[in-house]
Amino acid sequence: MSTQALLSSALADTVILECGDEHGEFAGVLLAGLGADVIKLEGKSGSNSRRLGPFTTPDRNPEHSLRFSRYNLGKKSVSLEVDHPAARDVLERLAAHADVIIDSGEALAVARRLKFFRELQKANPRLIVCTFTPFGLDGPYRDLKMTDLTHLALGGVMASCGYDPLADGAYDTPPIAPEMWQAYHIAGEYAVISITAALNYRELTGEGDCIDLSIHEAVSTCTEVAIPTYIYGGAVVRRQTGRHAAESRTRPWLRRTRDGRYVKAFLFWSGREVRVIAEMLNEAGVEHDLDSDGYRELQRRSPSEAQAHFSAMVDKLVASLTAEEVFHRAQAKGLLWASVRYPEENIDDPHFQARGTFQPIAHPELGRALNYPVSVATDGNNRATAFTHGAPRLGEHTRQVLSGAGFSAAEIATLAERGAL
Amino acid sequence: MASTETARRRPLDGVRVIDLTKIVAGPNATRMLATMGAEVIRVEWRDDRALDLLRGVRPLAPGGEADSLNRSGLFNNINAGKYGITLNMNLPQGRDLFKRLVADASVLCENYSPRQMERWELGYEVLRKINPGLIYLQISGMGKSGVYDAYLSVGPTAQALSGLTHMSGFPEPMPPAGWGYSYLDHSTGYYGAILVLAALLRRRRTGLGCYIDLSQTETGIMVSGTATLEAQLTGQPTSRHGNRMQAADWAPHGAYPCRGADEWIAIAIQNDVQWTALAAAIGAPAWTGDARFSSAAGRKANEDELDRLMADAIRNTERYDLMNRLQQRGVPAAAVQKADDRCERDPQLRARGYFVPLPHSEIGIWNVEGFPAKFGKIPVDVGGLPHRGAPMMGEDNDAVYRNLLGLSSEEIATLREEWVI
Repeated sequence: MSTQALLSSALADTVILECGDEHGEFAGVLLAGLGADVIKLEGKSGSNSRRLGPFTTPDRNPEHSLRFSRYNLGKKSVSLEVDHPAARDVLERLAAHADVIIDSGEALAVARRLKFFRELQKANPRLIVCTFTPFGLDGPYRDLKMTDLTHLALGGVMASCGYDPLADGAYDTPPIAPEMWQAYHIAGEYAVISITAALNYRELTGEGDCIDLSIHEAVSTCTEVAIPTYIYGGAVVRRQTGRHAAESRTRPWLRRTRDGRYVKAFLFWSGREVRVIAEMLNEAGVEHDLDSDGYRELQRRSPSEAQAHFSAMVDKLVASLTAEEVFHRAQAKGLLWASVRYPEENIDDPHFQARGTFQPIAHPELGRALNYPVSVATDGNNRATAFTHGAPRLGEHTRQVLSGAGFSAAEIATLAERGAL
Repeated sequence: MASTETARRRPLDGVRVIDLTKIVAGPNATRMLATMGAEVIRVEWRDDRALDLLRGVRPLAPGGEADSLNRSGLFNNINAGKYGITLNMNLPQGRDLFKRLVADASVLCENYSPRQMERWELGYEVLRKINPGLIYLQISGMGKSGVYDAYLSVGPTAQALSGLTHMSGFPEPMPPAGWGYSYLDHSTGYYGAILVLAALLRRRRTGLGCYIDLSQTETGIMVSGTATLEAQLTGQPTSRHGNRMQAADWAPHGAYPCRGADEWIAIAIQNDVQWTALAAAIGAPAWTGDARFSSAAGRKANEDELDRLMADAIRNTERYDLMNRLQQRGVPAAAVQKADDRCERDPQLRARGYFVPLPHSEIGIWNVEGFPAKFGKIPVDVGGLPHRGAPMMGEDNDAVYRNLLGLSSEEIATLREEWVI
């Protein structure tokens, strides 16, 4: 199959300049996975994410940050200080042949650079500029200091995630931010939607545009039923352990397995469900009464008690099996259950191996490759997103990129002497 | 249907999407495409097996008929900007009409159970013969190819299997907190939109259509951060960290109780300057001068004690007041906002016009959640081409069957009588 035919080459010949802080890096990864040439302008000291763990070596070497390598797969690195006066000439020449600039950071810094990027658009009207800031470029919260955690708080995700309240309805545990960097994942995905939409627009009109993306708004869109529940019913959903937040308490979904793990086993209380779980109990050799007259009588007399009894039977079933046994046996019966896996347990799973979910990326400092999650889809044969190389070393492509933009070796040396590289 | 005299071009002018999606993940993808100007036509049917269950999900707009399928708030939010028709795909006549719709479409999106399209003899290999340029997005829980091609999944299933459920919450012996909603219904929708937008760009260049087999579980693995990499490095299973930051010495870093019932503030201290500012903002209690807390490493090493002292110190503080005081001193802090907070007390969302009032043909004007980026000149509208909320069941039958397929009023009436549309 020709490269052109691959979805992972859909953005081949598209040049993306990425600058600013580390929060916009995920957008660049997704674009690189679709074949774009993503050039990271990360300054002499490198992206902040180079100083965030985990690290592959104990010395916390900024070249060995897994945070950086995860969020900069497939990019090129240029050590350009974009705010240095001498960088203007470099940016002018790079932007003349670029398709997109992504600038991530606090609004004041981004707005200052945006004035210059708008000038670059006059020379290259096809240029698309996407600013990636905590709140967008206007509004009363524009300059607030934010992190992933505070975004997940203000945007409403945390309010829906956490643990059950006590019996009296009061909570003794805080709302939970589900692991790190999700705010930047959500906003990065929206940035790519916006950029690819703008590229489609440019195909129709020949014109670029400016995109002012707000991380806060992106996170806010991502809370499912919470906003409609309030708008239409005036109610606020309350967080619960391992299951959907809801207006009123629902029965647990997480159940402990024989091997000390969890499965997510939710129930729809259908007749078919009772039948197949009775079959599973029989197959597992677990005593039960789900096919007895007594249980049928309980269903008639007190549906609520019957549900509680049924749920207890499911607990017994799950406790008699390993998490993986529950997962596969339940799926074979048409139940939508799954084991609560550690994410890394999927690397060796034959399903994800067959689909190419992970791609080995070389780590010379380790003398081996690590398997990176790279693709969420296939075209039937090939990964929809894939990478030709891992994350770059700091400044690895400075000379190559600047030479390509017409800078001589002497000019590059001068830029370095002036502190722009 | 869509006016051909639109004054301003939209990114997806001329793109018609046949939308066979249900619940949230698929409809989220087509919502993005509608927002970008695609003509999205939802194809639905009334019987229990085919009906989009979301049409019956509460909360409902008040009033109206009890059995109306047009009053769900969540359905209206997720399906804004689309046209809607009814079509009985279980009848050969219905499938013939469907093929005629696909013949003249750019994109088909569906998230039926595995193999349903093949049972109707409407798989990609059949449809590409009708329309070689078709972009066919198929969304499933695990992915259509691979070992688990017949497994069933909803958002919580995919979250469990991907590792996202496990990663969220406090360490053992606490169970996972997981996600309090179907996060992967959102994310999968975003990736669906991204891949279709990229495929449309590729088709403009090459004329090629494609098949996209999108897996909801793979989407979860993609957003599992650095967990899979770290586990390969250390050989240790991924663990949970509550709201703490493991990748750097950021502490305090968590959600702390404030005055009121279940009111919290998230605070993330990244350096000594922010720590000093935090101490001053909360009145510099004596413990903030404790030598153990004078360095980032010390605060991290004593995080349990620090969290306890923090919680005690701010327990009687009003959360927005504290947020403002901390932010004035440059400290990342944000109230944990619930849905009512975002709707009523978030001046940023209000100033940016986040909530968009859209008319709905049965329930009137309701706010839907907006798109999180502003564009300079590209018209981006969550109300889509019809500039309205979600379609009523079959609302656009006459327009679609008459204008797109050229059927007469008599033919349409007959199809209705024969339970085809």
